[in-house]
Amino acid sequence: MAGMNSPGSPGPPPGAAGQFAAIARIRWRIFVNSLRTMRGRMEMVSRIFVGLWFGLGGLGGAVALGFASGYFIRRGHAEWIAFLLWPVFLFWQMFPIVATAFTETFDSSNLLRFPLSYRSYFIVRLVYGSLDPATAVGTLWLLGTFIGVTVAAPRLWFAAAVVLLAFGLANVLLARMIFAWLERWLAQRRTREIMGIVFFLLIISVQFIGPVSARLQHHAHPEMTQFGQTVVPFERVLPPGLAAASLAEFARGNILPGLAALALVGVYAASFFFFFHLRVAAQFRGESLSETSAAPARSRAEKLPVRAGWDVPLVSGGTAAIFQKELLYLTRSGPMIFTLLMPLVILLIFRMTPGRSGGAGGDFMNGAPDFAFPVGAAYALLMLTNLIYNNFGADAGGVQFWFVAPAYLRDVVRAKNLVHVTVLAAELVLVWIAVAFLYRPPVLAYTVATLAGVLFAAPLNLALGNVLSIFSPKKLDFGTFGRQRAANTTAFAALLVQAAIFGVIALAFVLGRYFHDLWITTAALLVLAVAAFACYALVLRRIDALALTRRETLISELSRA
Amino acid sequence: MDSPAISTEQLTRTFGQLVAVQDVNLRVAPGQFFGFLGPNGAGKSTTIKMLTGLLAPTAGRIEILGLDLAAQPVEVKRQIGVVPEGMALFGRLTGAEYLNFVGRMYGLDRETASKRAAELLDFMQLAAQPKTLVTDYSHGMQKKLALAAAVIHGPKILFLDEPFEGVDAIASGTLKAMLQRMISRGATIFLTSHVLEIIERLCSHVAIIHHGRLVAQGSLEDLRAGVEAQSPASSADETPLLAPRPGEKLTLEEIFLHIVGGARIADQELSWLG
Repeated sequence: MAGMNSPGSPGPPPGAAGQFAAIARIRWRIFVNSLRTMRGRMEMVSRIFVGLWFGLGGLGGAVALGFASGYFIRRGHAEWIAFLLWPVFLFWQMFPIVATAFTETFDSSNLLRFPLSYRSYFIVRLVYGSLDPATAVGTLWLLGTFIGVTVAAPRLWFAAAVVLLAFGLANVLLARMIFAWLERWLAQRRTREIMGIVFFLLIISVQFIGPVSARLQHHAHPEMTQFGQTVVPFERVLPPGLAAASLAEFARGNILPGLAALALVGVYAASFFFFFHLRVAAQFRGESLSETSAAPARSRAEKLPVRAGWDVPLVSGGTAAIFQKELLYLTRSGPMIFTLLMPLVILLIFRMTPGRSGGAGGDFMNGAPDFAFPVGAAYALLMLTNLIYNNFGADAGGVQFWFVAPAYLRDVVRAKNLVHVTVLAAELVLVWIAVAFLYRPPVLAYTVATLAGVLFAAPLNLALGNVLSIFSPKKLDFGTFGRQRAANTTAFAALLVQAAIFGVIALAFVLGRYFHDLWITTAALLVLAVAAFACYALVLRRIDALALTRRETLISELSRA
Repeated sequence: MDSPAISTEQLTRTFGQLVAVQDVNLRVAPGQFFGFLGPNGAGKSTTIKMLTGLLAPTAGRIEILGLDLAAQPVEVKRQIGVVPEGMALFGRLTGAEYLNFVGRMYGLDRETASKRAAELLDFMQLAAQPKTLVTDYSHGMQKKLALAAAVIHGPKILFLDEPFEGVDAIASGTLKAMLQRMISRGATIFLTSHVLEIIERLCSHVAIIHHGRLVAQGSLEDLRAGVEAQSPASSADETPLLAPRPGEKLTLEEIFLHIVGGARIADQELSWLG
């Protein structure tokens, strides 16, 4: 055959450019092939919406940063650009970690079986890993800053370009470095769950920044001033502070100090590069992070007895078994437990947020503390959305069991819903106690009206959640932080449904307040609850037929690696 | 004669334009150790998925123990055990919790389920790691657990899709002994495997599917006799692989290759391969 090598010849060494092109082509084909199914097309539409949202945020931020940086330059306070670069820096680093569900991470370790040189592998890890919304938005924001500086002081265009480019590069490398090391720590279940808890606490801490700083504005806090004075010198030696300092020095015509600050940004970038390289090199050498061998084995003599399953009153053995399985899943997921505790955190945040009047003890709900319980209850329901609207997600490949077991799927779904309702009930009790502790015990009329609202909202959510769980499933990993989100399509549908449901409930509350009789609200919501229960029962009756038509998609979607 | 444990009539499954399984008429008698063979993509997994309720047939009928699978799915599933391709495990349970759960789903009471779970964990040598989650089990351990789950309710028919894949020799021996014991007690086992030696050693009857159609079905001896009867009639240049060596019988691999035409593919040459 023409062009054949001699038998046994490995062929010419592969060119890096050809390999990059092949990788780009395969990613493109994966994307195109994903559009073959209706679900893939729906996901695409959802992604476009998310992309538009990010695009608008990126453009809006770029314009704002452009105006702000131009203003600082014109006022002779170029160093204040640090106030702009810090949010860019924090967003660039924090967003990919917090919102891993939005980013399609490319598992480049699969490429190691090909004859890729280390340099090629490193470039692939760097470039393909950087194709994420944070890099796109961060780049847009830096572009806006560059335009703002250049318009305000055209002579600074070159300095601004170099400084912001170095800053951007440092951001890209730091983000890659963080992700590479996180991958290392998240590769094992135990460290993964610890990291999940750390991230969660980090996110909660971020939520508290607003209320705490707003509170501090109303009081003289000399210790905070002292803290600020301590922190500022550190801020100046970190990349955003250094980049701003470099720009400020160039703006004042101090070339050498400007270059020195720029060089320090470069040193940071080089350090991030080095630590990223350490991780990538370890992977390239074939590092194995398997954890199966780590499980300690007991001798046969000391094996533990097998305990009998739970005995749940009023339900069949099968339902009790599913109930136990679902609750064990939830309690073994650190991230999920923290997610379910979020309503209490939110109430605490509300309590700490000062009202407009700014009274010392007043929070923004101070004007209507009766609404604390309804708001907490609504948040509790919202927190359950990911579970309810994707209730086979955590089963992963185990979903096959429901189709080979001697049970109707409606019984399985009903048992899963029983867990959702139990968790919701427990959350409502906790929210009620938290409201009583943080504000005052909710009055009876509001408590009953809220429960009526839950009786209306919960069956509707469960009914629609059960349908979407079958039509748009997504495999979840309860052990990994940020991987508990439903499919984009489901998330959008759930958002619309929640908006409609909460709109109706709000209207019922407005009516009750208008007529000064909240029992009207309760009555209206109870009537709606009857309709919601009928809807739930109808869906449940049809769920087996629905599942049978969708079982192949359901199984293949949840069983994929 | 007993009614068959498994029977299908004109079983067909299409995926769009692709006909994965076409007009398959299977008959598996009670107590048989039945091997289901076929090249990759022949329709083995599609067939076993339809037989176990994981996939709906496009046309045709399935009867398990005389019950129509489409009309009485729960009754049928109560009497069968399945180790599907993906094993259908719940990763975030321990082995004991999983077996307990499966036992209760099949209607066992709490005490019986926990007692059998303990026995099965011990038998499968999985009891030494009671607190380890299934997700942290090795592949072989997961296979053993899936098999334990499939038998916990004492099924009359066991469907096994590649049960020995990834299982070490010691565990494999244990599993085979258990399966033989089930057969001796009257259970029926329907097994698919790519390892023809396993099928040959374990199964009394086999069926071969090729391009979605059932091309052979019967006892191993019947199939061997059929192939040997055809061989002398073949032209001289086609027979070297099929001629039984003096004093030896044709192996299942030789029978299989003859039926699906694999010998011709093996003859093709990739000249550039070293």
